[in-house]
Amino acid sequence: MRKKDLVKDNPLVDVAAYLFLEDIADKQGAAGMNTYLMSLAAALARSMPEEEYESWEDFVDALKNGDSALSTFEEVEMPTKHCVVTVESPFLRGWQEYTKRIGNFASIHYEVAEYYNSTVKPGAIDSQDIIIQTYRAEMAKRIKVEGKQLRVAHIATVAPDGTKKIAPDEWLPILLEKAGISQTMLNMIMRNNASVWIVYTE
Amino acid sequence: MLDVALVSLIQDMSEKAGVEGTIQYWLRVGENLARRMGKEAYMGWPSFNVALREGRTAFSIEGDVTALTDLAITDVDGDVVGYIYALRECVFNPTITRIRYSVGEVPEADRLVAEEYNNSIRDTAVCNFCVIHQKFRDEVAKNITVAGQQLESYQLADRGFTGETKIDKPNLKKIGVNEEYVRSLLRNYACVYAIIMHGARLKGEEEEE
Repeated sequence: MRKKDLVKDNPLVDVAAYLFLEDIADKQGAAGMNTYLMSLAAALARSMPEEEYESWEDFVDALKNGDSALSTFEEVEMPTKHCVVTVESPFLRGWQEYTKRIGNFASIHYEVAEYYNSTVKPGAIDSQDIIIQTYRAEMAKRIKVEGKQLRVAHIATVAPDGTKKIAPDEWLPILLEKAGISQTMLNMIMRNNASVWIVYTE
Repeated sequence: MLDVALVSLIQDMSEKAGVEGTIQYWLRVGENLARRMGKEAYMGWPSFNVALREGRTAFSIEGDVTALTDLAITDVDGDVVGYIYALRECVFNPTITRIRYSVGEVPEADRLVAEEYNNSIRDTAVCNFCVIHQKFRDEVAKNITVAGQQLESYQLADRGFTGETKIDKPNLKKIGVNEEYVRSLLRNYACVYAIIMHGARLKGEEEEE
């Protein structure tokens, strides 16, 4: 079964998961929640089988078709050989159901992102970004292309409410060069997509 | 994605906190979810059933719920005090399918949590998520009034991903519904429950006394 054929999740499960994370934060604060989010994503990546590809083209095909575990949960497009664009956040449906049924996304989801940005890597807007970015990084460790370890780096993310978070100025030119896109192209991509990231090998 | 990630954590959580610990966590999540949904009030059963059909009640987050209005539940005086409701698809089934085709298999902790819940709390779970879902329903019912009366949820029957069924015979007896009838509902529905006015004098309960 390919990604595009995966059935949609039930929002009750997603909303319950958000509340479970908030319950953790009540007891352990943003730091504890951050640890939980990162272990949640790492545990998921570890539960996936390892992958190996003979050529970069094979890997790109698998990624675009949703055959790689790296894109199992997201629909991706690749404007260049190394730039990956996630069309829609894999959390969008749960987030929409949460805001519809419960109200504003709890502030702890943003506070934990600030904690993550200052202690791990500056790239998250909310708790959802911590999960997906950690998952991508951990999953990449399980993939080899042409015998080399795959790596990922995050350029920008756009929250469901339109808030944007772009990599720090000192990193951006290097990331854009690796992605093979200009700053203007990045702005164009961010207008109607959820995140921009790169895949490469050393 | 969050659903699949959460399931991958159950195994780890159950190993660290024990399946009993996971159940306590899940019960709290179900309770919190219902509390965060807020309170609702309806003038009578028709307005509640219409709200349910239109997806306006807290129960509607479950998905496609049908009010079986031919199955009104009456009290000892013959007054309608509730109805039977049926959920088309188990809320956890899409997640199980997604796990099957993304990770490969559902962790064993899913079954262990359900078994422990069946042994220690009530014998109605077919998967770990039943713990959250059934608690959620119990608590949501308490937050809703129909004609000024607080509601109560009775779990009646459910069918799991692999076809396993659970039928709560004591609850069926209380509301006076035949077990075989509810079993036949499971051919077309995944989960069957009753919503009843809290404190109603049910025929089955009177007979027990």
